Amino acid sequence: MILKIIGSMLIITASSFIGFIYSRECAKRPQQLREIQGMLQILENEISFLSNLLADAFEKAYKSNRDATSLIFKSAFENLCDNKGYNAQEAWELAVRDNIKKTSLNEEDEQILMSFGKMLGNSDVEGQVSNIRLTINQLKMQELKAEETRKKNESMYRALGVLGGIASVILLL
Amino acid sequence: MIAEDKVEDKKHPLENEIIPYISQNLRDVLKRIDYSSLADIEEIRLRACKPVTLLNSAGDWYVTENGRLTRTRINLCIASQIDLTKTLELMSEKSIYAYQDEVKNGFITLRGGHRVGIAGRVVMENGSVKNIKDISGLNIRISREIPGCSEQVIRHIICGSRDIYNTLIISPPQCGKTTLLRDITRIVSDGLPSLNFTGLKVGLVDERSEIAACYKGVPQNNVGMRTDVLDGCPKVIGMDMMLRSMSPRVIVTDEIGNPGDRDAVLRVLNAGVKIITTAHGYSISDLKARREVLGLIEEKAFDRYIVLSNANGPGTLEEVVDGLTMKRRWP
Repeated sequence: MILKIIGSMLIITASSFIGFIYSRECAKRPQQLREIQGMLQILENEISFLSNLLADAFEKAYKSNRDATSLIFKSAFENLCDNKGYNAQEAWELAVRDNIKKTSLNEEDEQILMSFGKMLGNSDVEGQVSNIRLTINQLKMQELKAEETRKKNESMYRALGVLGGIASVILLL
Repeated sequence: MIAEDKVEDKKHPLENEIIPYISQNLRDVLKRIDYSSLADIEEIRLRACKPVTLLNSAGDWYVTENGRLTRTRINLCIASQIDLTKTLELMSEKSIYAYQDEVKNGFITLRGGHRVGIAGRVVMENGSVKNIKDISGLNIRISREIPGCSEQVIRHIICGSRDIYNTLIISPPQCGKTTLLRDITRIVSDGLPSLNFTGLKVGLVDERSEIAACYKGVPQNNVGMRTDVLDGCPKVIGMDMMLRSMSPRVIVTDEIGNPGDRDAVLRVLNAGVKIITTAHGYSISDLKARREVLGLIEEKAFDRYIVLSNANGPGTLEEVVDGLTMKRRWP
């Protein structure tokens, strides 16, 4: 009897734990979208106010942040610095492609980031700023959508975890 | 120790400061050139669909595809327009926006103070240049630091142990005007014990980043211990800012002659600050055709005129003239 109780307790804890992990995942995407917006904001300041070079701007941006998304900015910085002859667009696109899997961002987010690269570095300051603002706005929309999905899914995953655990215990008993 | 290291680095400005910014195709060819033959190189010229040309004191040379310098026209290395566009992209460190203001003036300055002139199709907006597109020509001028090149000149500039004369250096293009000015700045700032001259506070307005060659605000060339550098600042504004903020004893700036320069120089002199500057020209009479400079000559703003030429290589001292009496002091 005691064994049964201990066993069912274990099952319930495990499944609710899984539920919590999933619900945490849901919260990650809006969080990361926010982080990217923050780093783009730094980029904008570096470019428009300080007129710094792209490589320096990216360095400042990635060092300001320790989130997984800063990896994209970090590798863009590295691609810009080494002398393989990448232009700004290639360096950015490569960085996004290499690192998007390490984040919780989805394909739509990736598309937005990719199109950000198209104008990177090759216009005047106003062009750069409007490009950054456009991307920030698009990411904000994504963030709102992601936030809604999070609200829906977060509680669902949690409930599903706990209830699933109880259901399997009942079945097994 | 640190200073010694810097001298070592300076030996091959081409290798570190120019070659990495040239497009891959041309870079491969230029790398094959024997560096000993590049020692006194002054210019590298890239033109769309034309052979790559190098210029040194012996004249200009074509480069062959395997990196030999020649004057015959066989197997030459031809630059394409894509090469030029890529080169400019690399030179602006992939950040055209940061160099926009410089491109508007027709040139950008590389790290190390090398000036790159740009030719191409100009985009206009409201009567001023907005951008240059379809690049068709790049002229890379290699700047070189020659410590001690002003030895002959400096004794004409120094006046006692704690003062100098207001000086105008007159020289045709490519005769070492900027190189000389840089060395004078260094000596005026550091002092010269052999002439019993103690250094003065110097404010350097380096509009084109050629004299001090600042990288991230720090001078890469030795311009002296008592020198404050205002990098990339227009001369007229820069001279006033220096006067107000840094209390210099001497203000140094390059290439006067634009509208407004005359008044700015007079403001400096009225504040009791000395000035050392340069102007394009072959002789003093040549300068009188230019209004801004003529005004300064008539007001006797300068105490010394130093005229350079190319007669015995760049930086040949042609004459030194006293500004008050307009009499020759040297030779």
